[in-house]
Amino acid sequence: MRQNKKNFLKKVKGVFEPLLFSREYLKNKKWIIYLIIAFAILSTATRLLVPIIIGDIINSLESRNFNAIYLEIEYIMLLAVLSAIASFVVNFGAQYTSQIYAYNLRKRVVNSMVKKKTKFFHDKTSGDLLSRTTMDIDASRNFIMNSLSQLIPTMLIIIFAVGYLLYINVVYSLFFLATVPILIYVGVKFQKKQRPHWMKIRDTYGVMTESIQEDITGQRTVRSYLQEEPQIDRFTGITDTYYGEYMNVAHLRGIYNNLMPFIISAAATAVIFYGGYSSIVSKTDVGGLVAAVNIFTMVTFPVSFLGRLIAFSENARAGIGRIKGVLDRDLDEDVLTSGDFPKSNGISIRGVKYKRGAREILKNVDLEIPPESFVCLTGETGSGKSSLVNLIPRLEDPSDGQIFIGGVNVRDIPLSSLRNHIAIVPQEISLLSGSISENIIFGRNGITEEMTRRAAKIARIDDFIESLPEGYSTIIGERGITLSGGQRQRVALARAIASNPRILILDDATSSVDPETELAIFSRIVKSIEGITVVLVSLRYSAMKYASTAYELENGEISELQNVEEISYAMEKDGFKNETDL
Amino acid sequence: MKQTYDEIEESYIKTLRGRTALKRLLKDMAKNRKQTAILVASVMITAIAATFSPLAIGDAVNGVATGSFKIIIEFSLVFISLALIQFGSNRFRVLSSTILAQGTVKNLRDRSFKSIQHVPISFFSKVKAGFLISRMTNDGETLGEFLTFQIPSVVSGMTTVIMSIAIMLYLDFNLTLYALIVLPFLSIFTLSLQGKVRRNYLRTRKTIAAITGNLAENISSIRSIKAFNVESYTEGKFDGLNTDNLNANIKASRLSSVYGAIVRIIEYTGIAIVVFAGAIQLKAGLISIGILVSFIFYVQEFFDPVIQLSQLYNSYQSSIVGVGRIYGIIDSKKEAALDGEINVSSLNDSIVLKDVNFAYDDSDALKNINLAIKKGENIGIVGHTGAGKTTLSNLIMKFYTPQSGEILVDGKNLSEINTESYRNLISPVLQEPFLFRGTIYENVKIAAPDKSEEEIEKLAGDFNLDRIFSKLPQGLETNVGELGRSLSEGQKQAIAILRALCRDPQIIIMDEPTSNIDPYSEKFIFQSLEKFAREKTLILITHRFSMISLVDKIIVLQNGEIVESGTFPELREKKGIFSQMYDILYGNRGESLS
Ligand SMILES: Nc1ncnc2c1ncn2[C@@H]1O[C@H](COP(=O)(O)OP(=O)(O)OP(=O)(O)O)[C@@H](O)[C@H]1O
Ligand SMILES: Nc1ncnc2c1ncn2[C@@H]1O[C@H](COP(=O)(O)OP(=O)(O)OP(=O)(O)O)[C@@H](O)[C@H]1O
Ligand SMILES: [Mg+2]
Ligand SMILES: [Mg+2]
Repeated sequence: MRQNKKNFLKKVKGVFEPLLFSREYLKNKKWIIYLIIAFAILSTATRLLVPIIIGDIINSLESRNFNAIYLEIEYIMLLAVLSAIASFVVNFGAQYTSQIYAYNLRKRVVNSMVKKKTKFFHDKTSGDLLSRTTMDIDASRNFIMNSLSQLIPTMLIIIFAVGYLLYINVVYSLFFLATVPILIYVGVKFQKKQRPHWMKIRDTYGVMTESIQEDITGQRTVRSYLQEEPQIDRFTGITDTYYGEYMNVAHLRGIYNNLMPFIISAAATAVIFYGGYSSIVSKTDVGGLVAAVNIFTMVTFPVSFLGRLIAFSENARAGIGRIKGVLDRDLDEDVLTSGDFPKSNGISIRGVKYKRGAREILKNVDLEIPPESFVCLTGETGSGKSSLVNLIPRLEDPSDGQIFIGGVNVRDIPLSSLRNHIAIVPQEISLLSGSISENIIFGRNGITEEMTRRAAKIARIDDFIESLPEGYSTIIGERGITLSGGQRQRVALARAIASNPRILILDDATSSVDPETELAIFSRIVKSIEGITVVLVSLRYSAMKYASTAYELENGEISELQNVEEISYAMEKDGFKNETDL
Repeated sequence: MKQTYDEIEESYIKTLRGRTALKRLLKDMAKNRKQTAILVASVMITAIAATFSPLAIGDAVNGVATGSFKIIIEFSLVFISLALIQFGSNRFRVLSSTILAQGTVKNLRDRSFKSIQHVPISFFSKVKAGFLISRMTNDGETLGEFLTFQIPSVVSGMTTVIMSIAIMLYLDFNLTLYALIVLPFLSIFTLSLQGKVRRNYLRTRKTIAAITGNLAENISSIRSIKAFNVESYTEGKFDGLNTDNLNANIKASRLSSVYGAIVRIIEYTGIAIVVFAGAIQLKAGLISIGILVSFIFYVQEFFDPVIQLSQLYNSYQSSIVGVGRIYGIIDSKKEAALDGEINVSSLNDSIVLKDVNFAYDDSDALKNINLAIKKGENIGIVGHTGAGKTTLSNLIMKFYTPQSGEILVDGKNLSEINTESYRNLISPVLQEPFLFRGTIYENVKIAAPDKSEEEIEKLAGDFNLDRIFSKLPQGLETNVGELGRSLSEGQKQAIAILRALCRDPQIIIMDEPTSNIDPYSEKFIFQSLEKFAREKTLILITHRFSMISLVDKIIVLQNGEIVESGTFPELREKKGIFSQMYDILYGNRGESLS
């Protein structure tokens, strides 16, 4: 019983949860909220004064006291000004505060997002995360705005009504008070029933975003495989779900939200019954009864507005629930602040195991990469090459074992320093819309135009860039869509080289570049960047011959390849079949 | 002058003007006649019931005066029945307004999505995905919220305004004119702000689109952002956009609040004018006190919804700007010649490119291409990176249309051929494999809907791709993740190959299909392809020659031009570019490069 009561209270409080949540993002803005409250009171007061003045005017009209009327008109105009000021402060204040909230929250969400370990992103899609940073925030912003601008006037009207009722007749006010628990019960029920639907609405919104993004990214595949219709069907399915959930909420609103004013009307009927009966019996005058019933009708709108606020609140809570998933700190990267990148750039990988879920990708890897060397890592598709190299700049962490650079455990090197000195060209290139030079510089401090050009030259993309009418300021589309496959890879390569890294990891970074260009790039890298260690992941034995040592990953274990030359020849010729057959 | 993304977007997707957008929106909504009728009816019933409620109360109270308990009971019952009627009609009102609102939004979203499937491919190199997403989701949501919660207010507000004007006219014509005196001022005031209000809201929509665009890209690139340690730069860029959005919103809400405040003054002035004019007329004995008093009450009744409606004006503007942006996507220019008349069901003779020239915007990509691909022929296209190989395949797949020259399929101009029927003949393995979220099966199945899972599994074995998938514990049931990110690059490519082959097409276009697959696995794939491709028309794009013996003829592209073509021995003989590339790979091995 007690437990129930506690739960119940918790639920009532739940409606205001978004407001509690917002406090953290509205620090220093308390005074605005007080101002809004003060002016909301003023605004309600002016509203309530209007009927009084009108009453006076009617009295004056009846007594034909025209001088009084002119004075009262002045009062009305005075009220006009006051009410205009109050309405401005309340409306602007509410919108301003809610926008500040959204701004701060969005900033925080993005901030926590970029601080997350990559692990956080494994099971999330970018479309879904995107909706969390946009519409989910807006859902709670909307609730806060509505609460700030209307909750106070609404509550004031109800309080005023109850007060006035008490003043007229205590028994009548008891009728009103009797409705309060019923209203709260209905409200809580309404809230509870809506909950899953709003959660579904917010999740579906995420799915919708995700599908649009996926569809746009895959347009060429969609079109070549005539997937337009299936994609449209799929999307329609999502918007159907979305629509359906809104309808579910509408059904609930249709019943519960409308039940609230109905309860008030029922109470008013009871008052008429009781009041009428007792007036007949006691022969008192009916003025009080009429006033009381009028007050009941006056609160029906505020009460149903409160019901609507519950709907907004549930939408907000569902959004906040999703946002909290990003704000959680437990998948944050552990950022050290002190320590330097080691002098030597040799890498030793000792007893490293790496798991994806239950699957062991790397079983027990030991590898010594001497400083200033050029080594190559090869192995079959899916053997774990990318997984292994990603461990070096700590894009992922091994489940067991350690990695050292220049004798220092990578965990003891600050992440920023580690990643500033290790550059990686990932297999999946991610270029951003913007100019080529922006993509090469990539927001890093201290990369000059000269360094950009040099990097482009090493990556052998300089000729191409300079052949473009706008050169380095040429805008490339999203994901570098306006470049050819090999050009994209080389821009990414230039990006990695630009900062003169101590360790360069090339994860099959030249797979779309022709062999001639590929070898030229390798030789330039080694020649131009002094003392660099290069870890090359490559499947091509032709590229491998450039390396001093080559290792092969197989079944999660690593072994050194002997005599690369011979292997390469044998493999490629083999793959080639008989040249003379042709 | 370089265009910003905003400007580029604007030139690619229009934003309809307010009035045009509103007209179309109303037209779209009115299509659902039944719900519109229910909405209007339920709003009217509510309004009528609400008008009668005070009368019922009055009558019940009269019962007290006459001491008749029966009358009290009767009229209380009438009162509660009216409340019940309102309960019912409000329920219908909520339902029908949600159906109309969310139905409209759904419809707009579905149509935009559909439109995106048919815009020219070049569209996507200009417009950021995030911009489109923002228009479809954010802008749609603003509209949805406005309609769901506000249509009833608009309908009932307008009904009340009309009803009050009618009653006022009935009461006193002259005074009604005085009451309406402020309306022209209100309209002029509203109209004079309109342009500014609209610009403000457009700014808010554009800035949220910029945020969406920025985040859509950055979230997908989060690994690179981390790898290069540029989190704070990324955040900084985002902060700028976030601040722009905040400022735009504050600016818009400041104006809207000023507007609301001035409307309040206009309202009170209206009441004051009526009181003043009424007093004068009363003094002159032109009207009776009774009429004046009820008039004053009705004036208040009249102004309430007017004020409500003008307060909605801002959310209306914000939504209508959004709607204009959604219609912009719907109206986007569609792929030219999407619906060629001629349907093709097979390739009977050849695909011929005649004097084809092609440029992206104004940079030439292909020059004077003449090429005949005969049915059953296997062609290799080689050349350095950026030579135009992918571009050539894009033209053959009809993703782009050449600026001059023509592509003839069995002698018919490609632009006259129905795109769908033509693409049905071709299976591409694109240079960048794309996977949908879902399992490997599902990804393959899109190309071969009538093949069972067993058949697909068997085909994977036939093409020797099973050894690549066998590393995955769940095999073909593995979930590939967003853009296939739960797989290795080679595995992604293998799926793209399997997908293309499972479709069993007449024409296969492979653009560097094995660039991320190890040579050992590649060799097996190659062996299986040797048999398979013999019966097909194959276009193989590559700059590595491990699979070159699949092809009968090799075309060498350089800077967008065909510089060499012939069989393998012929080209070896010629000692040209091809030969040179080949030697670098297999020939004078070990020799250092400059
Ligand atoms: N995000 C992920 N979630 C689950 N499994 C993954 C994920 N990324 C990779 N894997 C699995 O880990 C294994 C090793 O992948 P990895 O990308 O390291 O291979 P690789 O050797 O680089 O292959 P490739 O040569 O094809 O690039 C693969 O079998 C792959 O399916
Ligand atoms: N969408 C586009 N918009 C503008 N220019 C483009 C676009 N796509 C490609 N290009 C340009 O056209 C030229 C040819 O590109 P294409 O992709 O056909 O080369 P490719 O031969 O396939 O090269 P790679 O071997 O690197 O894939 C390149 O210079 C490229 O920058
Ligand atoms: Mg890999
Ligand atoms: Mg290409």
